[in-house]
Amino acid sequence: MLKFVLRRIAYGILVLIGVIHVVFFLFHALPGDPVALMTGQKADPETKLAIRRELGLDLPLYQQLALYLNDLSPLSIHENTPSNQKKYEYYPLFKIGNHVLVLKTPYLRRSFQSNKKVSEILIENLEGTIWLALAAMMFATFWGITFGIIAALKQNTFLDHFLIILSVLGISVPSFVAAILVAMTFGYYLSDYTGLGITGQLWVDDPIYGRELHLENIILPAFTLGIRPLAIIMQLMRSSMLEVLTQDYIRTARAKGLSGFKVIVKHALKNALNPVITAVSGWLASLLAGAFFIEYIFNWKGLGMKTISAVQFLDFPVVMGSTLLIAIIFIIINILVDILYAAIDPRVRLH
Amino acid sequence: MVQEATESCEKIPSILEVKQLRVEFTTDSGIVRAVNDISFSLKKGETLGIVGESGSGKSVTSLSLLNLVPNPPGRITQGEILFHSREYGNVDLLKLPRDRMRRIRGGEIAMIFQDPMSSLNPVYTCGNQVTETIILHEGVSYQEAKKRTLQLFDKVKLPRPSQIFKSYPHQISGGQKQRVMIAMALACKPSILIADEPTTALDVTVQATILELFNELRQDKDTSIIFITHDLGVIAEIADRVMVMYRGNIVENGTTWDIFSNPQHPYTKGLLACRPRLDLKLRTLPVVSDFMTTDKEGNITGISEARFKSVGQALMLNYQSEEELREKHKQLISQTPLLEVKNLKTYFPIDKNLFGKPKDYVRAVDDVSFNIYPGETLGLVGESGCGKTTLGRSILRLIEPTAGEILFEGTNTLHLKGNALRRLRKDMQIIFQDPYASLNPRMSVGESIVEPMKVHGVLESDKARRDWAIELLETVNLSAQHYYRYPHEFSGGQRQRICIARTLALKPRFIICDESTASLDVSVQAQVLNLLNQLKEKYNLTYIFISHDLAVIKFISDRIMVMNHGKIEEISFAEDIYTNPQSEYTKKLIGAIPKGDLEDIRRATLKRKLAKPKGK
Repeated sequence: MLKFVLRRIAYGILVLIGVIHVVFFLFHALPGDPVALMTGQKADPETKLAIRRELGLDLPLYQQLALYLNDLSPLSIHENTPSNQKKYEYYPLFKIGNHVLVLKTPYLRRSFQSNKKVSEILIENLEGTIWLALAAMMFATFWGITFGIIAALKQNTFLDHFLIILSVLGISVPSFVAAILVAMTFGYYLSDYTGLGITGQLWVDDPIYGRELHLENIILPAFTLGIRPLAIIMQLMRSSMLEVLTQDYIRTARAKGLSGFKVIVKHALKNALNPVITAVSGWLASLLAGAFFIEYIFNWKGLGMKTISAVQFLDFPVVMGSTLLIAIIFIIINILVDILYAAIDPRVRLH
Repeated sequence: MVQEATESCEKIPSILEVKQLRVEFTTDSGIVRAVNDISFSLKKGETLGIVGESGSGKSVTSLSLLNLVPNPPGRITQGEILFHSREYGNVDLLKLPRDRMRRIRGGEIAMIFQDPMSSLNPVYTCGNQVTETIILHEGVSYQEAKKRTLQLFDKVKLPRPSQIFKSYPHQISGGQKQRVMIAMALACKPSILIADEPTTALDVTVQATILELFNELRQDKDTSIIFITHDLGVIAEIADRVMVMYRGNIVENGTTWDIFSNPQHPYTKGLLACRPRLDLKLRTLPVVSDFMTTDKEGNITGISEARFKSVGQALMLNYQSEEELREKHKQLISQTPLLEVKNLKTYFPIDKNLFGKPKDYVRAVDDVSFNIYPGETLGLVGESGCGKTTLGRSILRLIEPTAGEILFEGTNTLHLKGNALRRLRKDMQIIFQDPYASLNPRMSVGESIVEPMKVHGVLESDKARRDWAIELLETVNLSAQHYYRYPHEFSGGQRQRICIARTLALKPRFIICDESTASLDVSVQAQVLNLLNQLKEKYNLTYIFISHDLAVIKFISDRIMVMNHGKIEEISFAEDIYTNPQSEYTKKLIGAIPKGDLEDIRRATLKRKLAKPKGK
């Protein structure tokens, strides 16, 4: 188990290094000049050149990459100056000339746009995304499994067909359409009854009471975000359940005299969960990467919106930082899911 | 003495009485009656055997007793199942409220299913699945249930009960799984135990130990057993009374002795005759249609006595004498071998080190050498996991052997590459076990047969290939019209014949039949075996016939090779292996086969009769 996790982490680091290279070159293939976007059209060439030099954008691409990797690596070599010490907050290990080998937390640089530390920006925006993604997936998983089981048990009845049609609808409606419909209906026309607004944050800074938690604000975006995973989980659960219900061990369980409920919940469900876990984890990971449309329409402060706007402004450190964060999230979720598979099905061995 | 045994049974009251039971299934082509107004009864302490082929309604009958017929599509449309319940007195199981029916399921009537591999829930431990039943029906504490489970495991002779208790089904062997199933069924001391083909999926030696267990169970319990099987040999060993089912009807019902010594119904005669025998070497196997005629749907239209009047006659008319066989054998081994296998090894890595280098191997085929002569059928027999399938596939290089030599007409096939290998594949073909899985459902039968010809460039034009395919279909007793049909329209036996036709399309000289009749009913198996023999004559073929069934192997083979743990235990002429087995393993294997001789039935009945008073 420990061996498995360590090996997967090692693979994960390789994946991360790959991701850094791909995104780095892709990003530099984008047209446009980040410096022009920072300074505006009218800035004089002198200033632009100075900024470019300061950000290291005048160097050849491979040098830029090497410097970036050096900044990221926890074990790296820097010029030993007080300003560097402040910038990287490193712990020097030993000196090599006027350079020094250091131990530090990965340095993600500062945003071109706001000059804020990228790590701070990510942490600020990640919280909203995490809560939104978790709320959406919890909603989708619970109801997806429930409806999936109901549809399987009532196979070929009106209820089954009705649920399938709903789920097809849920899969096919684009998220921005669903988001606008939900926001308008429940946040505007029916807001007197629901008491919900179109937009709102989880934490609201109140001038009198300070930072306040507003849980109700998460309901509409989470619901909207959950529609599609719910529909897919339902269909997967239905087909997987139908297959499991024809298995011999279900007949054995019934022949023991177990009640229908117990047969389903104890003997069928656990066997039917595997494809659902795959879907849930995949969705959770991609929701954690941010959901741009939903965040945009509900004006929810999250990773998706931040990343998209950073791409717009060619804000390289932010794009790079959030891509890495997303990659890490995917890797961790995948490891957790493999462990979960093994926990649910004893036939699965972790290799 | 046998008569006495039967009489003493009659005084005992029946515990179960089925009256006019009818079960119908709704299918695309209308309503099918799976069980057609059958009536029978079961006495206390009696073992009733139900014999029939797939689709005869024997499993549906047993599922109806517990009201477990899958619904939809199945439905019990009429009848009564009167059961003498400990808890509720005399009740009609079909009218019992659901909660009471659940008390009876697993409590008073318990069931054991065919395939222990799939009948246990893979995600719970064996112990958990048995304690669950005990807690459900007896409401005892977990500790008490666990104690009783361990006792049960001990009783069904599971080794190390406490370890099996903690094991998951995939961690124990098939025979052990079936013992766990039996323990589960016995958990609440049921008055009726229904066993639906409990030994079909197991190896003969394991089957023998499970049947032994059944025989012991009935001695010290007042349990009635309904034992369902397609294997008459098994029935002969275990049942007091036999019920033969055909297409939803009971065609014959009587004591085991009567059914075996004097079968009345032509179908029963056919079943008894078409089973490959261990004692006589027959030229062709009698088939059910030698005894009766049927219409297109399989309904019996008449009794045919044209060929054989009785089972005995069917056997006497076509057995081969010893001199004939000796002569044939002598001639066979005087030829140059068609295929020589020398020191063949096929290993599979099981554990790899950090760099992907194998640390340990499964020796599936371990240093095997033998010859096959032209026109020979070499029977390859062994229990599951002995390496027989791997050996077959290694010879065709479907699995790459690790070391050794395979000489086909003198050329070492292991060195062949590219076109030469393809030419070899044309000469050496294989027929697989499962005719359902080995035909592409989206290709018409004709396309399936023509495809390999196109791949190998056999015959010049599509027209010629089509004509050859049709000729082949006719050779395997199908018709030209079947060319455009799809596999799902055919029965298992017909599909296997299609597979055979496809194999023959390339005009091979050497064919490996890998358990090619294992998934077929006995009567269909007899037809396919006869067909294989005819084809061998007609096209000068040489076979390796792989099977776990020694009776089948004995019928079809000239020589038999017994395999165990990847090694050859023994290789000899078929008759010699049976009459004079050399290795211990072969002896054990032969001893375990249920023979279904009258002599054995007499002995079994007697043994049960003597054992009875001791149990009471």
